[in-house]
Amino acid sequence: MTRSLIYSLAFHTTMIFLTILSLPFMLREPIDLPPIVSVELIQISDKTNIPYAPKARKIIEETKKKEKERLVSEQAPPTAKAKEKPDKIPLPNEQKEEKKIIKKKQNPEEIKPEIRQSSEFEKKEIVDTNQIAALIDKAKEEEVTKQKKTNKITQSNQKNSFATGLTLSEEDALRAQIFGCWSVPLGLPYDEDLLVRIKLNLKKDGTITKSEILDHQRMNRPGQKFYKVLAESALRAVRLCQPLKVPPTGYDKWKEIQLNFNPTEMLKG
Amino acid sequence: MKKTILIVLLNFLLINKSYSLIEVDITRGNLDPLPIAVSPLHVDINSERYKDLKIKELGNNISKIIEHNFRSTGLFNPLKKEAFVQKPDIAHLKPRFEDWRLIKAQALVTGKILIKNEKLKVEFRLWDLAAGKEMTALAFTTTPSNWRRVAHIISDKIYERLTGENGYFDTRIIYVAESGPKSQRVKKLAIMDQDGAKTKYLTLGNELVLTPRFNPTNQMVTYMSYFRNMPRVYLLDIETGTQEVVGNFPGMTFAPRFSPDGKKIVMSFAKDGNSDIFTMNLETRVVERITDHSSIDTSPSFSPDGKFIAFNSDRSGLQQIYVMRSDGSGVKRITFGNGIYGTPVWSPRGDLIAFTKMRKGKFYIGVMRTDGTGERLLTENFYQEAPSWSPNGRVIVFYRETKAGLKGEGFSAKLWSIDITGYNERQLKTETDASDPSWSSLLSK
Amino acid sequence: MIFNKNLKNILIVIFTTLLLSACSTAKKSGSSSDDAYTGKETVKYLASGVPDRVFFATNKSSLTTASRATLRKQATFLRKNKKLNVTIEGHADERGTREYNLALGERRANAAKDYLMTYGISGKRISVISYGKEKPVNASSTPLAWSQNRRSVTVKVN
Repeated sequence: MTRSLIYSLAFHTTMIFLTILSLPFMLREPIDLPPIVSVELIQISDKTNIPYAPKARKIIEETKKKEKERLVSEQAPPTAKAKEKPDKIPLPNEQKEEKKIIKKKQNPEEIKPEIRQSSEFEKKEIVDTNQIAALIDKAKEEEVTKQKKTNKITQSNQKNSFATGLTLSEEDALRAQIFGCWSVPLGLPYDEDLLVRIKLNLKKDGTITKSEILDHQRMNRPGQKFYKVLAESALRAVRLCQPLKVPPTGYDKWKEIQLNFNPTEMLKG
Repeated sequence: MKKTILIVLLNFLLINKSYSLIEVDITRGNLDPLPIAVSPLHVDINSERYKDLKIKELGNNISKIIEHNFRSTGLFNPLKKEAFVQKPDIAHLKPRFEDWRLIKAQALVTGKILIKNEKLKVEFRLWDLAAGKEMTALAFTTTPSNWRRVAHIISDKIYERLTGENGYFDTRIIYVAESGPKSQRVKKLAIMDQDGAKTKYLTLGNELVLTPRFNPTNQMVTYMSYFRNMPRVYLLDIETGTQEVVGNFPGMTFAPRFSPDGKKIVMSFAKDGNSDIFTMNLETRVVERITDHSSIDTSPSFSPDGKFIAFNSDRSGLQQIYVMRSDGSGVKRITFGNGIYGTPVWSPRGDLIAFTKMRKGKFYIGVMRTDGTGERLLTENFYQEAPSWSPNGRVIVFYRETKAGLKGEGFSAKLWSIDITGYNERQLKTETDASDPSWSSLLSK
Repeated sequence: MIFNKNLKNILIVIFTTLLLSACSTAKKSGSSSDDAYTGKETVKYLASGVPDRVFFATNKSSLTTASRATLRKQATFLRKNKKLNVTIEGHADERGTREYNLALGERRANAAKDYLMTYGISGKRISVISYGKEKPVNASSTPLAWSQNRRSVTVKVN
């Protein structure tokens, strides 16, 4: 009995000691993390995504899933190995699960029946290249879904690009180009509504034939001088950026585009 | 079922044949300073001589001051003159925009000056190089000896056009010029242009002078002096140099500031160990008591509409910031963070209060909303205090002291400024050590 | 029996907890005489055995026991020299804002003056002036220097 008492006492004392020791740590201020800067790695692909309407895309995915399920049961061993690969390649966390499912979908399609007979080592290699190609495609798809979740503004974008054919990669290229040209006027009050919409008419080589600020009257209203300054900076950016990075084809789709300049995110940070 | 899916699919594809307008969201840009080219002002050949002014250099000197002003804001990047292709006179008439764009400039400043009949006539233009047209232009006349102010006025107009805010270049800063060993400092009142030029000393240094503040409406200054070993608040006229004691208080008065209409001085009066806030009307000489509390009440600062006073009180135990109506009613504490708060100063825009905060042996300059929320610390140092606002509420000037060695060596005090975004912290050039800065309002209005 | 044993265990645990938690050091130095200077280095004397100054803790204007002892000596000295008038100078260290330090110096000077008055010295003989942080006696930036600068100094006027 006394032994258990001693043990209990010893453990309790240790716990209390540890708590007291850790108290200063708890009272210390939380470390100020530097603001997290998201970096987008933009790839300009020469592949154009086949434009599917969002609803249609879902239906196609469903049909593909049904196919995959059939295939998976036939080829259980290869897919089991395939599962290991995704972990090594860095991916956004939320998408990991989705990835695995998509992984399964791709692999069964790529692996041809003959390969099953070759050695394990070879098989792995073939699986590798297939997976990487699959990854490149999937990475773009994930960005789409990620954007859906995080960025409400681009919701309409995504619909448009799927519908009209300006791929996300091309859009990103244009956006990145304008990022570089736009000198954001510092010190604008960021809690005001500061959205400047500019409609551009473009030539095939990306030069501007006409530019129009959609909220033109707002610029000259009294008390809207910040809006005027912002609009002018946006116009300057667009003009100095010529020729704009436009897609080589599909001129009819993008001969008229609208750029929405919104510095709120930047000013808040 | 499959048929309906097919029809739906077809519908979608068909509908999207008519291409709707592509919208691209631009939510990021670069925060680099705007590249701007300031061409030297063209001096008209018909300009007459004026005293000992170097007329030929005037156009160049004015542009140099403008460049220095722009660079000091951290918002503009004035480009090097060696790259300029067009001569000042032609550039002012019709700039070749492509040439200027080649050096990566986004805006161009040109101008010309003429001295005739003892008057200086100035004209300047601001060009948008991307659009290829004039953004703003102005012409005005002044005395030739005011040529530095010409540069500042042009800077203000351009700053306003490009940022949407009022400028702050045509202003002065009054401060205490310090020298000597730390335990026996010699202190004089000094005044200079905001860019450090034209320093003038207003007192001789025979007695301690502290905390000078500008009258927002005219050329009067209030400060505290130990003249005849009696620490009191004084009024000083910069133009004439005349000084007078403010009021007839039977004890130390200190920490003076003007009301926004320039008609009253608000200050602390200390007696029997207690300091309270009083005002005195400069016209009627009527003195009013504003606080009546056994704690130390000091560092009062009016809101720009004159309705409220922010002040420093230790009635809760340690120094905190309070806001009350200008008649003394409705006292509300607004600082509740960890640390000690002092020197509250209301922004001329009315939206923020700047302050000094002390915590764990460090001094911070910060800003907060007038209800105490949104506290933002801008800079940290071993010792710094006494923020003062530029007239557009955008920049804060304050002073810093360095740590002294065991014999008091290595001690220095200097003026610093910082943008309210926390960017662009820089030291102001002064001839001597300096403390207690105060920023004037725009000299031209 | 079992209940008693349990109770005993519980009590031992509680007792140990209290014992250990009592060992944690206090976060703030509470007492007001904590960093008031107690040395003799900068002290001058009005007369033999009568120090001319008293010292204060950071941000405080309350008199320590030592300060009161010094002031009593000063009071005795002033009672003996009835024609002597004095000025009490109040000072603060450099670790505070300038304006508040002026007020704090004034409070410290008055703390000394009030105490002298309770020992029968007429208020008319004592004038008060605050120098805030403007006249440090020790120019360095160390806690020792700061403690030496937080003072009320009694100065002979005539």
